[in-house]
Amino acid sequence: MIVRRLTLHDFRIHHSTEMEFSPKLNFIVGGNGQGKTSLIEAIYFLCTTKNYKGAPDTDLLRFGQPGYTVHGVFEDATENNVHIRFLADENRRIYIKDGKTVHRAADIIGAFPVVLLTPEDHALTQGAPADRRKFIDSVISQYSSVYLDNILEYAKVLKQRTFLLNRIKENPGRSLTAELDAFTEKMILTGSAVIRQRDEFLQEFKSFVEEVYQEIMREEESPSMHYQFLEGAAPESDISALFRQKIYARRDDEIRRGMNLTGPHRDDIDFGINGKSLKSFGSQGQHKTFQVALRFAQFFYLKQRSGKTPVFLLDDVFGELDAHRAGHISRYLRQVGQAIITMTDLSNYAYLREMNESRMFTVSAGTVTPA
Amino acid sequence: MIEEFSKFPGIGKKSAQRLAMYLFRSKDQDFQKFVDAVVALKRDLHSCQICYNITEKAICSICGSEKRDKSVICVVEEASDILHIERANEFRGVYHVLGGVLMPLKGIYKEELRIQELLERVKTGNVLEVILALNPDTEGDTTSLMLMKELERFPLKVTRLARGIPIGGDLEFSDDATIGRAMAGRITVK
Repeated sequence: MIVRRLTLHDFRIHHSTEMEFSPKLNFIVGGNGQGKTSLIEAIYFLCTTKNYKGAPDTDLLRFGQPGYTVHGVFEDATENNVHIRFLADENRRIYIKDGKTVHRAADIIGAFPVVLLTPEDHALTQGAPADRRKFIDSVISQYSSVYLDNILEYAKVLKQRTFLLNRIKENPGRSLTAELDAFTEKMILTGSAVIRQRDEFLQEFKSFVEEVYQEIMREEESPSMHYQFLEGAAPESDISALFRQKIYARRDDEIRRGMNLTGPHRDDIDFGINGKSLKSFGSQGQHKTFQVALRFAQFFYLKQRSGKTPVFLLDDVFGELDAHRAGHISRYLRQVGQAIITMTDLSNYAYLREMNESRMFTVSAGTVTPA
Repeated sequence: MIEEFSKFPGIGKKSAQRLAMYLFRSKDQDFQKFVDAVVALKRDLHSCQICYNITEKAICSICGSEKRDKSVICVVEEASDILHIERANEFRGVYHVLGGVLMPLKGIYKEELRIQELLERVKTGNVLEVILALNPDTEGDTTSLMLMKELERFPLKVTRLARGIPIGGDLEFSDDATIGRAMAGRITVK
């Protein structure tokens, strides 16, 4: 699948922008604050119904305007038109796919697979466990609506159960054991399904990361990843039984702290290089390489799962890679599908211009010009 | 009047206007019938003493019927759910209206629900099966789990509604999560 066209009206700094993309490489060059990232943001928005920065609609609206429109044309075997419209007066945003309003993100799952690599990806390996959970959740949710359903349900259980734990803490007199038991069982049921799906995913995903290291990054180093769940349980254990055992063992602690202390909301993934923990021993360069490898692995994984080639969005990441590696990655991307790449300055990458079927744009103060 | 109507569930401002205009233009006798029905709603209707269904008598027509099998109790969230199940004309047992589901965030706990009342009915020993027909959402599922535990000590069968592909619904038109769950909860036929 490719993005053929993008049209923006009063979105971020863009007053009226229209772009025709190449099915291969697209370079968008411009200084900071000129509107490069908003283009990436808009494409991601169309593909997922979500703003990856979590920005409210009023922030996306160009200052003082009544509303914004984002329109994209996707090409596959067929052509799909997607519109996102926001009207400030009604404070309402609508997502329209081929003339029909889409109400739930789950309804477009798998339709427009997309992979995004941004400078914020440093959080994948250097950030908190929550950043890594968010990563696996977003990858799995792009092809499995059952998984998406499960994590949403699990989040609801956590919310009710947290409230319940606090009620018990505040009113030791009232017996709410039956209620807590029920929410605990529901948490085990849904949580175990989440853990199993994450485990299955990571088992498969691991080999994609290894392959990316060897084939694309041409790295001598070998990556590894270990799924950490239920306080370091062995992967082959009976998940529900173990979950039940651990959660009941910590009940007093849970009530005292008014918090859910056991479950997949506390999962993490340990990344490693040559058998050593990346988090403890990795150099900046090793971290960067790992982050890029994760995104490439996501690309190939989604491609295999969904049968569609995702659009690859690379926001301002070439600056952090040396010219040699950036060139290698670009050539590789060109062979596999469409990529949209933003950069502040082209001087180091002048040779990229020479590649066939690539297109170049410059952005200045929200105005895009084909170069 | 328009304002009062627009407080109704599912009624917006425009529908409220239409309803109010309809009443205003209706014939006197039709209007009186409507008014009587509204008054009677609060005056004559109350909960059935056995199952908490809405009824005009002390005991609802389902609990009072000799044709209904009293050994099978179907547990539902609200009295309105009974209407949905009755429409299918498939169930010949009796009901028990729980009056909601567990929702700590909204202050609904076990005591707020008619669980004790259900256990009292079961304790008589005349009940052979309890069917849990709560909505298959987070809170409904959790409440079912609690009921299963509460009913554990009684020698009876506890079942819950099957979930999956709707009848007449093509696989093609079912959403992925539904198909996924139907697949997970598949039943053996051979």
